[in-house]
Amino acid sequence: MNTRVVVTGVGVVSSVGTNADKFTQALRDGKSGIGFLQNAQNSAVPVRIGAEIRSFQFEALLQSLPSLPPEVVAKARQCARRAPFSVQCSVLSALEAWARAELHDRRPVPERIGVIVAGSNIGQNYQYTLNAKFQQAPEYLTPSYALHVFDTDHVATISEVLSVRGEGFTVGGASASGNVGIIKGYQLLQADVVDVCLVVGAVADLSPMELQAFYNIGATGGRAFDSEPEKACRPFDTQHEGFIYGQASACLVLEAAGFAQRREAPILAELLGGAIVLDGNRSSDPNEEGEARAMQKALQKAGEAAEAVDYINAHGTSTPAGDIAELRAIRRVFQEHTARIWINSTKGLVGHCLYSAGVVEAAATIVQLCEGFVHPNANLQEPCDTGFRFAGLSACPAGSRIALSNSFGFGGINTSIVLARGVTHE
Amino acid sequence: MTKDQIFEVIKKNVLYVLPDLPAEAIRVEESLKDLGANSVDRMDIVMESMEALQLKIPLTHLAQVKNIQGLVDLFYEACHVRV
Repeated sequence: MNTRVVVTGVGVVSSVGTNADKFTQALRDGKSGIGFLQNAQNSAVPVRIGAEIRSFQFEALLQSLPSLPPEVVAKARQCARRAPFSVQCSVLSALEAWARAELHDRRPVPERIGVIVAGSNIGQNYQYTLNAKFQQAPEYLTPSYALHVFDTDHVATISEVLSVRGEGFTVGGASASGNVGIIKGYQLLQADVVDVCLVVGAVADLSPMELQAFYNIGATGGRAFDSEPEKACRPFDTQHEGFIYGQASACLVLEAAGFAQRREAPILAELLGGAIVLDGNRSSDPNEEGEARAMQKALQKAGEAAEAVDYINAHGTSTPAGDIAELRAIRRVFQEHTARIWINSTKGLVGHCLYSAGVVEAAATIVQLCEGFVHPNANLQEPCDTGFRFAGLSACPAGSRIALSNSFGFGGINTSIVLARGVTHE
Repeated sequence: MTKDQIFEVIKKNVLYVLPDLPAEAIRVEESLKDLGANSVDRMDIVMESMEALQLKIPLTHLAQVKNIQGLVDLFYEACHVRV
């Protein structure tokens, strides 16, 4: 059975906007969430630039969510008020997507709803913070840590807040985790395990240790533009030098198309297909062949030819090797059509959101398809390769219908998904 | 540290963990479970209170505690042993 899968709700908590509307406006305006990290001055870690969710207040954001029944808001407060930052963000993005999909009014039976959370070792900074206290007095370690240590605490908390009783789990795929989650959600719906599946990309709450490690491995940028943080992330520009860390959670509500139509849900996009392929490589280096294979396989699964694609939301991390390999892979797949296909990287505005990047960028792709524009490529002044139709320094109207969104992770994990505006052929 | 002072510390932490509870509902004869605290909530309340009181009591001692009064008594005893 080939169940068609649609997206009926989107939720976002990011550095450029704490809901999907603000996020969409930020993309249109080319607003950057990148600045100096708040704790940079007190830290010995040489990573000083990133896109943080600033002035985060769980209660205020919970109150600002539209059209949720008071008992759901009360449940969210009860379950997540004392939860780690990353769990709170997952709850907020899930609630927003749930509300936008109008699931509280016309909800499926709880046993037919699933939840997938993308990311692994999500709450590293929470653990790092507790560890300082633990070294002093291990007896007083908060008992709740025994719950929060599991990434599945995100799944569990969302399931309690929204009374989800179908299948639920976390998925990991390094920086491709978000796309892995979306593809696993798609497969759950195709396998008829659930009618509705929430896919949540979790905030990568990195501790100083992970930031230092990414610096030491040579993956981070921000050196040449160390005094101008908004210029540090420049995907596909010749002056790119590494990724800039970003914080965001995003959620997509995936749904079987027939089910969504019967309950008259808003249909934002169709998820036509996706693919995950491995390079057989445990290291961090990108691989043109593997990336091309992911895109080809995703198109094949979607039943679309390369020339049908209008827009590519690139992985585009602003890392020299990664940007160059991805453009070569795109050329390999799309050949002469590269001159016509819009390309941008959302990371130029929101940084590299790691675990959630795939979901954040799928959300960005969907809002651009729905609203008919392509967002700017921040700081792209001199492309590192030619023959591509890069979005410029400001947003541009575009009537894209079919889009591809790439996410590639350390360890040779290559993923690509194919999205279409609204609902396509019956 | 009097028993009343210890009770106030516990009460503060019950309200921290269960903010929707009216303060007057927290009485010594009540058990944390009956007040709506699940097993993790109960341990969070105990641990936060022990930290505030700077007590280190083996958790096995909690098995005999039946209600908030029992907790107050246990903490009071520990305070005095320490002194």
